[in-house]
Amino acid sequence: MSCKVLIIPEDPTNDQHILRPLVARLLKECGKASAKVVVLSDPSVSGYEDACGKLPEIRKAYRRFNLLLFLPDADGKHQSRADKFAQLEAEYGPKLVCCAAVEEVEAWLLAGHTEKLAQPWPQVRFDTSVKENVFVPFLREHGNRRPGGGREELMQQTLTNLRGLLERCPELADLQRRICEALP
Amino acid sequence: MAEGRGVIEHIEIEGFKSLEKVSLDLGALNIFVGTNASGKTNFLEALRVLQGIGYGFTADEIFNGKPKGANTEVWEGIRGGSNYAESFSRPGGNIVFRVTATVATGAAPVNYAVTFTFSPKDTRVYSERLNGQTINAVPFGNRPSLRSSAGDLAEHIANMQLFRPSPAVQREYSALSFATRMGEHGENFAALVQSILGNEATASAYVSWLRELTPAELDEVKILTGAMKDPLFAFRLRGTDYPAPMLSDGTLRFAAIAAAFFQPDPPKILLLEEIEEGLHPTRLQLLVELLKSQTGHGVEQVIATSHSPYAIAWLKEEDYKYVFLCTKNEETGATSITPFSEVPDLVELARTQSIADLFAEGWMENTL
Repeated sequence: MSCKVLIIPEDPTNDQHILRPLVARLLKECGKASAKVVVLSDPSVSGYEDACGKLPEIRKAYRRFNLLLFLPDADGKHQSRADKFAQLEAEYGPKLVCCAAVEEVEAWLLAGHTEKLAQPWPQVRFDTSVKENVFVPFLREHGNRRPGGGREELMQQTLTNLRGLLERCPELADLQRRICEALP
Repeated sequence: MAEGRGVIEHIEIEGFKSLEKVSLDLGALNIFVGTNASGKTNFLEALRVLQGIGYGFTADEIFNGKPKGANTEVWEGIRGGSNYAESFSRPGGNIVFRVTATVATGAAPVNYAVTFTFSPKDTRVYSERLNGQTINAVPFGNRPSLRSSAGDLAEHIANMQLFRPSPAVQREYSALSFATRMGEHGENFAALVQSILGNEATASAYVSWLRELTPAELDEVKILTGAMKDPLFAFRLRGTDYPAPMLSDGTLRFAAIAAAFFQPDPPKILLLEEIEEGLHPTRLQLLVELLKSQTGHGVEQVIATSHSPYAIAWLKEEDYKYVFLCTKNEETGATSITPFSEVPDLVELARTQSIADLFAEGWMENTL
């Protein structure tokens, strides 16, 4: 039976173009290159609280998936989100792994383009409004007219140096380890 | 919603078909939803009247049509012609259009107003004003004078494309080898795609949208040629060519709508009717993304209609200002057009409930 992985973003509209290639690559590192990666579209979620509230419904609908990945933004609330994740992961249902992007998912893409950014990486990484302050102008300059505005191509470029990405975003190194453990 | 503010920023219509009195602020991307016969298409028809004014047609030509000329294409009048243009509930009244439009970045908006008057055998311009000043010197003239008074505005309004792609038309060989714009139903679709594929930047972007659509592996978008080198649209999937006659209606319609945004000669204003037709609900997210992300790149304003709760589900709260609910008064037959942002309780409810369900169950119509 093929391996099926569901990504639960806090907003799939744009995040899917960053998260799908990222997760596919992490799965490849875990020896699961042929895994089917699906980004949640139904039920539609919008924001962290909304996604948390719908998780029981999602876990029920996708109970035949091998792994569910909840990948919201940290938004500067590291400890409270870690506590919530521990509670969610302990609940009954299909295997769920949660990982919050420090501070927003867009930072994972930007980690591979530090040489194009005006700000030093630590400042970018801990900017709780990194999407608005850094990513939007970055995409305006480097994006294109493809689906996602170029996010997928830019994320693929970031993934050409996976080691550098995992060093700049240690939460992703932890995520990769946990995915490998969850899908032996 | 999409970036930019569009060409027509504000429009008022009085006495036209079911649009007894409508006043709307428009954005770059505008989506009109509502039940059948709620007035969505009448709104698009009203915009076509403005287009006819932009072309410089006579009032009679605008409403009743104009045959193909030496340098002009056929102009189809509005549905029913001038006999059915007046308000359903107020026959015999004048038809008034007031528009605030911006024709250049940084330029001040222009206000234009025109009133048509009807007699049993004739359609005339009753009055015409630009920024409050009368511009039509001929009382009861037969031709709006916007084109001679404000050429830029007339050009922008005329540069409107009503697009209702027909898969049957798209499955045909194109008459032209290359085209910079399609016809209303997708005429010369393959010739247009040939032009798009000839430009590296637009080719890669256009093909990437089709790759997102097709679940099977899309190798490339191809143009096959017939005996007379006439082009035919095709997909190459897993090493096999699938010409347009073998592709599904939904695939062809999506390919045409996507192509409309990459036309070398894009319209300023694109009108799309029933955007979801033929598309699987799971692909409507992609369609909404296409409309939101591509409006503002050549096509400055999109005005679309839809019946689909699934399309609405992919719109966000910040979009609701330019998502319009069309409803019809059961007694008078008059259409009301209300932005989602002004439907009582809708924004609040949509934070906790599926807006698709609210629409599909008729909650919005019942609330207004």
